[in-house]
Amino acid sequence: MSSKPIIQTFDLSKKFGKLNAVDQLNLSIEEGEIFGLLGPNGAGKTTVILMLTTVIRPTEGTATVAGFDVKKSPNKAREMIGVCFQEPKLLWVSTPWDVLNWHAKVCGLSNEERKKRVKWALEEVDMWDDRRKTVHALSGGMKKRIEISKILIQRPKIAIVDEPTAQIDVVGKHRIWNLLRDLRKEGSTIILATNELQEADVLSDRVAIMHKGKLIVCDTPKKLKDSIPGGDIMEVHLEKEAPKKVLTELEEFKEIATVKETASNILRLYLNQVEAVTPKIMKVFYDHDLPIASLHMSEPSLDDVFAHFTGLSLEEAQEEV
Amino acid sequence: MFMRYKFMLIMRGIWFVSQVALFGLVVGKMVEAAATAAGINYFQYYVAGVTIITLYSTSMFIGYDIFEEAEHGVFEYLLTLPVSRRELVLGRSIGGGLRSFIYVGPLLIIVLMLLGLSNPLHFLVALSGLFLFAFGVSGMSITIAVAMKSGDKYDILIGVLDALIVRLSTTMYPTIYLQQAMPAYATIANFNPLTYASDLFRWGTGVEGTLQFTPLIGLLALFVFFFSFTFVGVVFYERRLEGGSWQ
Repeated sequence: MSSKPIIQTFDLSKKFGKLNAVDQLNLSIEEGEIFGLLGPNGAGKTTVILMLTTVIRPTEGTATVAGFDVKKSPNKAREMIGVCFQEPKLLWVSTPWDVLNWHAKVCGLSNEERKKRVKWALEEVDMWDDRRKTVHALSGGMKKRIEISKILIQRPKIAIVDEPTAQIDVVGKHRIWNLLRDLRKEGSTIILATNELQEADVLSDRVAIMHKGKLIVCDTPKKLKDSIPGGDIMEVHLEKEAPKKVLTELEEFKEIATVKETASNILRLYLNQVEAVTPKIMKVFYDHDLPIASLHMSEPSLDDVFAHFTGLSLEEAQEEV
Repeated sequence: MFMRYKFMLIMRGIWFVSQVALFGLVVGKMVEAAATAAGINYFQYYVAGVTIITLYSTSMFIGYDIFEEAEHGVFEYLLTLPVSRRELVLGRSIGGGLRSFIYVGPLLIIVLMLLGLSNPLHFLVALSGLFLFAFGVSGMSITIAVAMKSGDKYDILIGVLDALIVRLSTTMYPTIYLQQAMPAYATIANFNPLTYASDLFRWGTGVEGTLQFTPLIGLLALFVFFFSFTFVGVVFYERRLEGGSWQ
């Protein structure tokens, strides 16, 4: 992977009335990488995409796409980009074949190449047999597969995919992940906007986490997870609610980085030395007559990274918007 | 795609037939004496005018597409495509104009059967003017749709505009009668694209005694109309859309 930036944003901002949808975003996306743009709904991801694709103009700041300023050369910038929208954008009464054939035509593909690529894409997303159905007759997942086919056909320099596997079953999800990886191998840079953190973790070379229009943090998933104090996570499901003094006692252990009460009887403990501290934790629960219903150990996920940097779980952040 | 407006088209067709077979015939009889004295066959005059009104209203359909696209989110998709805004608007207005010709085509054949075709060359010149007219109306419809934030408001505005633009033109009555009613009406009608389109169509189909402008002036006026609403519309479209105010 080269380290040449293909997209750069400079204090990129967008206001809708008094709302700062995107607030002074500074990002640099390298050519050939899969870049995850994470955050709950309303974090500003889609607004960033709309500004990069020149659909809306930034209120302040700017961005360059393959060297073209989105404000000064919007047409050139747009030629570099293909978008797979979160909500499939299909023409009203057409068939999947018509939708993709029209898209390929607008993207300037020759007749022969167009037919070849549309057929290939429909087969890849398992929609070949349904190519003549009207789009109204398709399920949400099928529509989404048509939407993703657009960038597979277009093979743009920069492919922006917004929630690419929403409404798609597990098998289909893995298939699409592989198709995105193949697209990258063919030379596309991929921006993956999602609030499915596991998807971002699996696919992305680097991720940027956004919250309330601001960039919170940006790095590789591994570095982000390593940056959380308390590499191991212990989730304890108690049979009854833990009193405050139990939480205070646990917080006093130097091996416990954070104690988080995710529900009234569920504690999430971020640990530094799991072997050393586990007996101590068990003793605290035993001393306070708190029977343990179940116990799970795990490594941190991007959900934990999000929670660490924002102080909120993704669900809580979602509710705040 | 073309038959999305099936209901509207059927209604337009019924409207057209009733305007010609009922209103045109009855009013034609009513004003027969005065019209004949002025050298006009009013029925023929009126049929040609109603054709232009139908072409105008079907060319305005494209504005409804804009709202439907916004509602389905297709608008955003179109705006991300690797084509310039200019190409997009030009494509839409020409596409909208051509589509309206497909809609009006069968009616046009009926009209030609009613009016006859005395000079095919004149008719071809008139037809080229009507294409410019239809493209221009589509461009105007797109411009208005982009400027309005609500489909309901657009619908009401189009209704009012339709009433004004049709009545302040020579589609239904010659300028001389507009002049007699109020001189200002005739002045406005002289700047109305429907006046040029209907006059040119009458010339092209050989409806006599009604031509107010030379065909060349008619063609030029329609070209200016097409040019203004397509290219000025592009500027408007770009400013409006890229600011995100349509969202």
